[in-house]
Amino acid sequence: MCPDCHSLEVEVADLSGRGTVHSFAILHHPRHPAFDYPVLVALVDLDEGVRVVSNLVRIEPADVEIGLAVEVEFEARGDGAVPVFRPSAAGARA
Amino acid sequence: MSAPGLDAAIVGVGSTELSRAAGRTELQLACESIASALADAGVGASDVDGLVSYTIDPVEETELARSVGFQDVRWSSRVPYGGGGSMGVLLHAASAITSGRADVVVAYRAIRARSGATRFGAAKTSAAPSSNHAGTTALQWCMPFGALTPASWLALNSTRYMHEHGVESADFGRAVVQLRAYAATNPAAWGYGNPITLDEHQASRWIVEPCIRLFDCCQETDGSVALVIARNDRAADLRQPPIAIAAATGAALFEQEIASDHYVADIARMESSTAIARRLFDESGFARGDLDVAMIYDAFTPILFMQLEALGFCGPGEAKDFVAEGNLGLDGALPCNTNGGLIGEGYIHGLNLVSEAARQLRGAAANQVPGARTALVTSSRTGAILTSG
Repeated sequence: MCPDCHSLEVEVADLSGRGTVHSFAILHHPRHPAFDYPVLVALVDLDEGVRVVSNLVRIEPADVEIGLAVEVEFEARGDGAVPVFRPSAAGARA
Repeated sequence: MSAPGLDAAIVGVGSTELSRAAGRTELQLACESIASALADAGVGASDVDGLVSYTIDPVEETELARSVGFQDVRWSSRVPYGGGGSMGVLLHAASAITSGRADVVVAYRAIRARSGATRFGAAKTSAAPSSNHAGTTALQWCMPFGALTPASWLALNSTRYMHEHGVESADFGRAVVQLRAYAATNPAAWGYGNPITLDEHQASRWIVEPCIRLFDCCQETDGSVALVIARNDRAADLRQPPIAIAAATGAALFEQEIASDHYVADIARMESSTAIARRLFDESGFARGDLDVAMIYDAFTPILFMQLEALGFCGPGEAKDFVAEGNLGLDGALPCNTNGGLIGEGYIHGLNLVSEAARQLRGAAANQVPGARTALVTSSRTGAILTSG
């Protein structure tokens, strides 16, 4: 339910796939067999105003920083795919 | 609006040993700590008419009644919000007693967080949209990305906090050195006899970089803690000097999750702790400077810093200096987590911080604050002010 208007209607919207790293975490322990460590987790603020938890790809852990501009790609996981983020060609913005 | 005063006191405290392998069920652990708390209070099982625990506690009320011998429980409740709710049993029990819905309430938590199925530091992979009473469904958006533990969820807040205020791992380490110094002289603590240096903290391995090292983590612990809580007039006739619940409150704010507040506007600030502090001090008439000792939920060092700031003991970004100046020590402005905290003593969902506050107010703590009469106990969503004599 929408907490502002209590509407139950849902629609799918296309987003740009671009965003900014709001925070991050480099996971070392514990290690689950489904993942390659260290796992790079990030909170990404999408340009449209939505914040999502995701992974960073195509970047070394030491290069991850808050404010990094990122763009989406999709990575196969199990039966489906999840959105993950790589550094954008435009570089850091914030 | 300020709430009417509470009329309830902690009259009994019980605990099992804290270990890494209790070798018995949570039910048995709960029975043992409750029996210990009843004996401490001088109250019989048949006097108990109220029970309160947590939504994530595995011990059922019906099993306890049969095992401990409760004859007629007329009020019971469970507190949500995971660890953030840890002090909520005081609010629930005191509210029930003050309203006349119960006379003698047992609050309990039993956990096998090291040897049992609920080992918090282990990787959990449930991505179900139902939380199974763990309190939040937002973790379904963490687990597909490998964020499987409380440390990994809280790290996102912690990294942002460090970024905004220029905090480094060594700043956290100074708090851990103090907590481990307290634990080193507390025979009940996991860290008894084993203090650490800042260098040892900095050499401990990363759990989550750049914010949480191994020594920043609370101890996965097996054990149980129980409290007996009764109305003040009844408390006056019992075995132990009563510890009054002068104020108790909770704060569950819009967009808050459990150990994963990733969607609030400012993820580096624990706003619910600010709300709790405001209400506790308004309700009790006490000021921060009146507190002799504080117990602050330290599942991981960064959230201890964030709570020190949100509770108003120092300004935003000032916790690193507040800690470095020694304010958490016995001679500091705010002796804090004097049992060693959840990091140094062990983790019984934070309820062992209430036991420590009770020991302080009875003058019986291993690291005693001389003449302590007023204590704050708080986790991110719940808190209370306790007083003695």
